[in-house]
Amino acid sequence: MSNPHKKENLGGKKLPRWGMLIDLDRCVGCHTCEIACKIENDVPLGIWRSWVKEIEKGKYPNVVRSFRPTLCNHCENPICVKVCPVNAAWQREDGIVMLDPHLCVGCRYCMSACPYEVRYIHPQKGMIDKCDLCSTRVDAGLEPSCVEACPGSARVFGDLNDSKSEIAKLVATKPVSTLKPEIGTGPRVYYIGLDTATMEIKREAKLVWEK
Amino acid sequence: MGKVVFDVQYQTTLAFLISYYFYCTGLSAGSFMISTLSYGFGFKKFKPASKMGVVAAVLLLLLAPQFLLMQVGWPIKSVWNHFVYFNPMSAMSYGAFLLMLYPLNSIIYGIFMFKGNMKMTKIFGLIGIPLALAVHGYTGWILALGVARDYWNTGLMPIVFLFSAMVSGISMMILLIIIRDRFFTKEKVINHDLIDSLAKILAWLLVVDLFLVFCDYSVLLYSKLEAQEVAHFMLFGKMSFWFVIVENLIGKVIPMIIVFIPGMRRSYFWLILAALMNMAGILAMRIVTVYGGQALPLM
Repeated sequence: MSNPHKKENLGGKKLPRWGMLIDLDRCVGCHTCEIACKIENDVPLGIWRSWVKEIEKGKYPNVVRSFRPTLCNHCENPICVKVCPVNAAWQREDGIVMLDPHLCVGCRYCMSACPYEVRYIHPQKGMIDKCDLCSTRVDAGLEPSCVEACPGSARVFGDLNDSKSEIAKLVATKPVSTLKPEIGTGPRVYYIGLDTATMEIKREAKLVWEK
Repeated sequence: MGKVVFDVQYQTTLAFLISYYFYCTGLSAGSFMISTLSYGFGFKKFKPASKMGVVAAVLLLLLAPQFLLMQVGWPIKSVWNHFVYFNPMSAMSYGAFLLMLYPLNSIIYGIFMFKGNMKMTKIFGLIGIPLALAVHGYTGWILALGVARDYWNTGLMPIVFLFSAMVSGISMMILLIIIRDRFFTKEKVINHDLIDSLAKILAWLLVVDLFLVFCDYSVLLYSKLEAQEVAHFMLFGKMSFWFVIVENLIGKVIPMIIVFIPGMRRSYFWLILAALMNMAGILAMRIVTVYGGQALPLM
């Protein structure tokens, strides 16, 4: 009966708090981040760690396509970590929400508890898969692959605790928003120019027994 | 407002296997309650139902976790990890311990009952009551703490689950006692007083159950948008056949009317029909709650 991911005593050293900001005024909806993520993390067919929801709205000639790039929000107070019965979902000291494949049993409770629906069941491994902000790249001093691949430089990655970093400046000075702040999870993926039409709740769904 | 051009489909997480698991634990908890009525609380009228109740409770609770093991990706690892890596924040973590303790306690209680040791039977019966409440209440908590889904995320969920457990458990006991008395006893006479008392309890529990459903939906319909949408999905959308017709009309309202009318309650044809309809309705309730509660995409 133990949690193998206990926070270490860091002796007062200040750690980074990784976060991401997506400037939708710069997003052109090219889905490059999606593909870069798939290549980097070897994500199988049918599941996505990061994707771009794309909608059309308005009536001709006043029409627009809106995009909502979606990835794990690496919440300050993640529900998935709370509900995981075997401590497989855990949060690093720098804020990245991780999944321990040695512990995950594939019960899918975290999937149904996540308000952002960013967790997926890996068809080959039988366990949960999700965005980890390319933690291996971040540890090596690189940016996540979606950030590096974005042709419009719409994604900004950095340390929210470091007031000199670009992301901290942008979050402090621009009108930013997060997805579903009312749930109290404290998402650390910020958006500039997020269209509420991309977050509409649907009234109907395709049921599992429907062809 | 907008038309979706591209979006990723959410994989359905908890569907039928989890519903069957909830159904079996519910039946088990309900039949355990009936079996403790005479030995634990001294209602002598229910004594002929006690042994059957404890046997049904144990068998159903040995069956129930099999559905869980079929659901998870790693069945053997899941049994080990649930005990070794305990997360005190997770309702599901406690479930592993409850699913071990409750059948063990029920088996000990059953052994003392069959040996005729009244004192020990009473002690283990009374220990079993909070365990039975916990083993079924925690399944409601599992859903209630899945905060993403407004249909689940209500404090009523554990109570709704407990009442539907008792309702379905009593229906199953009525059927089992009729079958046993009619075919497996020497006299072939059905214990009419016992069946009538159980049916009266069933009637009032159905009233409470329907009242809880009314409370739940009246709040959902006045609550925030996601809650309103899921209530519409259940009442008027694709789930309405299963929720309105199967769960509430066939499963609860018609059986309630049958067991409240003395003439119909005393006729075994109507009573058996009511019990069967109620058991089917509660199974539909589990599927509606578990699958329907998460069928709508969130964003």
